[in-house]
Amino acid sequence: MGLYLDACAATPPHPQVLAAMAEAQARFWANPSSLHTPGVEAAEALERCRQELAELLGAPGHRVVFTSGGTEADNLALLGLGRRLKPGRLLLSPLEHPAVAQAAAQLQREGWQVVLLPVGPDGRIDPTDFGPLLAPPTRLVSIGWASSEIGTLQPMAELARLCRDAGVPLHSDAVQAVGQVPVDLGAVPVNLLSLSAHKFQGPRGIGALLLAPGLEIEPLQHGGGQEGGLRPGTEAVALAIGLVRALALRLEALPREGPRLGACRDRLLERLLACPGLRGSGAQGQRLPHHLSLLLRSAAGVPLCGRSAVRALARRGVAVSSGSACSSGRSSPSASLLAIGCTAAEARSGLRLSLGPWIDDDALAPLPGLLESLLPTLPAADPS
Amino acid sequence: MAAAPIYLDHQASTPCDPAVVAAMAPWWTEGAANPSSRGHRPGLAAAAAVEVARGRLAQALAVPPEGVVFTSGATEADNLAIKGLCEARLERGRHLVTVATEHRAVLEPCRYLERLGFGLTVLPVGPDGLLDPDRLAAALRPDTVLVSVMAANNEIGVLQPLAAIGALCGRHGVAFHCDGAQLVGQAPLRPLELGIDLLSLSGHKFGGPQGIGALVLAPGVTVAPQLHGGGHEGGRRSGTLPLPLIVGLAEALDRALADAPARGARLLRLRERLRLGLEALGGITVNGALDPRLPHNLNVTVQGVDGGRLHRELRRWLAVSGGSACSSGAPSHVLQALGLSREAAAASLRFGLGRGTGEADIDQALAVVSRLLPALR
Repeated sequence: MGLYLDACAATPPHPQVLAAMAEAQARFWANPSSLHTPGVEAAEALERCRQELAELLGAPGHRVVFTSGGTEADNLALLGLGRRLKPGRLLLSPLEHPAVAQAAAQLQREGWQVVLLPVGPDGRIDPTDFGPLLAPPTRLVSIGWASSEIGTLQPMAELARLCRDAGVPLHSDAVQAVGQVPVDLGAVPVNLLSLSAHKFQGPRGIGALLLAPGLEIEPLQHGGGQEGGLRPGTEAVALAIGLVRALALRLEALPREGPRLGACRDRLLERLLACPGLRGSGAQGQRLPHHLSLLLRSAAGVPLCGRSAVRALARRGVAVSSGSACSSGRSSPSASLLAIGCTAAEARSGLRLSLGPWIDDDALAPLPGLLESLLPTLPAADPS
Repeated sequence: MAAAPIYLDHQASTPCDPAVVAAMAPWWTEGAANPSSRGHRPGLAAAAAVEVARGRLAQALAVPPEGVVFTSGATEADNLAIKGLCEARLERGRHLVTVATEHRAVLEPCRYLERLGFGLTVLPVGPDGLLDPDRLAAALRPDTVLVSVMAANNEIGVLQPLAAIGALCGRHGVAFHCDGAQLVGQAPLRPLELGIDLLSLSGHKFGGPQGIGALVLAPGVTVAPQLHGGGHEGGRRSGTLPLPLIVGLAEALDRALADAPARGARLLRLRERLRLGLEALGGITVNGALDPRLPHNLNVTVQGVDGGRLHRELRRWLAVSGGSACSSGAPSHVLQALGLSREAAAASLRFGLGRGTGEADIDQALAVVSRLLPALR
């Protein structure tokens, strides 16, 4: 696969996850809603996954709703809660993934007022500015725990406490954070939390929404009564087992793997920033340890096209991204980069490198030289 | 540990075919990149693999590949079809028609739309479980936008007259959605030849993995998305595509169809052996028409027994169900729609034979029922 530096888009499942799923395909393939023995065994396996996941995130009292992935979890959170509330103001981080931003746009079509929160040049929301915005008619807040594009971690503990004190429910898309940094809902009172397994070496096709006790939402899909009626459809038990195993493995390794990747990332960044024209984007300290984001410029300071850099690196066997994979079909400037004050041209000059356990310093060694040699070949970024 | 019960509930779920598990295996690792990451080679390879699988699925159903929208399963496909189509055709009208014996994944979205102000007609079926197309014709209104009728019933296995329904819908310009979860993979099904505009299917009903299904749209049919986000699947269903599951779905369908006629004939013989054996015990009646019906389905009511006790006693020996798994034990709305009382519906058994079912399973099942029956009565 060459050098794969796109962990924020997808990660290969851990071999132990694959083994656990293979075993589950053989043992727990029956329909968990069936009342016979194979069905009950599948249902018990699923319930163990649910409890284990809640405990891994410090939220033994939260409800866990398994979904088909992060997008569905985000939609279920925003639309499921939004449709239960009287339309009001929805505060949204401007760094959100399209799954959140587009679900919010749907709520806007249904009568909500969507207001994007101000962020600093590092992408952080300032809790001092945030508090007063929680006054009526604010009824719902959605803030991504970590930005997919610029890696910035939000001050979730403070923001969540402010929301709790104001009595406004808080959703956090933690798809990029879970498994990369500690996410402890016991310490951070988020009411709704979305996650996706394939971002932490779990399987594709499964995610989850965690709901604080007592919080009621509407289902998006209607049908059988699975997942407490919140998400009908036969549950994919093998995938749920894969998700939980992947997260358990990740969290077990995190105390050493997080700092190791962070140090790799820091050394790489230092070498990259020594190249004329390369700048970092997003926060310095408060960022995902495996995430590095750049703005590309020519030696003369002209922003260069990030998508062209992605393709040029791809031809040399290096997989990176110019933004979120889910918006890569479009050529519009990055909304996240615009939100932190970039010009349109700069917002097309982003490059994201995201690391995983398969990465070490040796693998990264050729990268700064390669990128530096490519810069003169890249076209200028479209300034419109 | 007691011996595992005989599994005769393949309409609830089938084991994932080991060949399908093997076909998925390389894609968990080789295809681990995000298919939306079109800038780099691993992402492109993943995207190409999705398109190959989409093409295989499309070919198996004789539809253009652009019409295949991958979903997390049949429930999501049914929801997307019904709510998505009605939302896309709001200006044309707000009336939909379905049938009392549909799966809850169809009935509940229809009732949801009814709560939003749509007109909903739920048609009855005959005692044989079949919809009379004339009844459907009489229910169509100028503002009808959608008719939803399943291909094969999940509880009683009867096959609805799809061609007649499709022709009728075509003449009236009404979209025809068909929940094909129980028929796809069991027999060749060509939705376009039957006038089906939207077809739902689910992988785990035919030896594929759980967590994947599809909605198949006829050319020109559009649905409003129900999941919003990155605009995957032509804007019709956002969310990273689960490549290994998609490969598994295509592989499972090809495998299921490859021997479907022979398997169907074999299971029909076994099903008849089961039926005749049960009928010989006396006081056991078959629910729903025997023809046209899925060859691997049998649904019977055991007269003169308490349903709860019947299922409790059988459970140790036999994995069968009282109805749809998705109804989790409530007396079957399907059987009640055939005219059975709640008590009779509760005292009913659904047998779903499958690829792994052999003659010995049938004979053991018969032996179990015949042994337990006297005490239950």
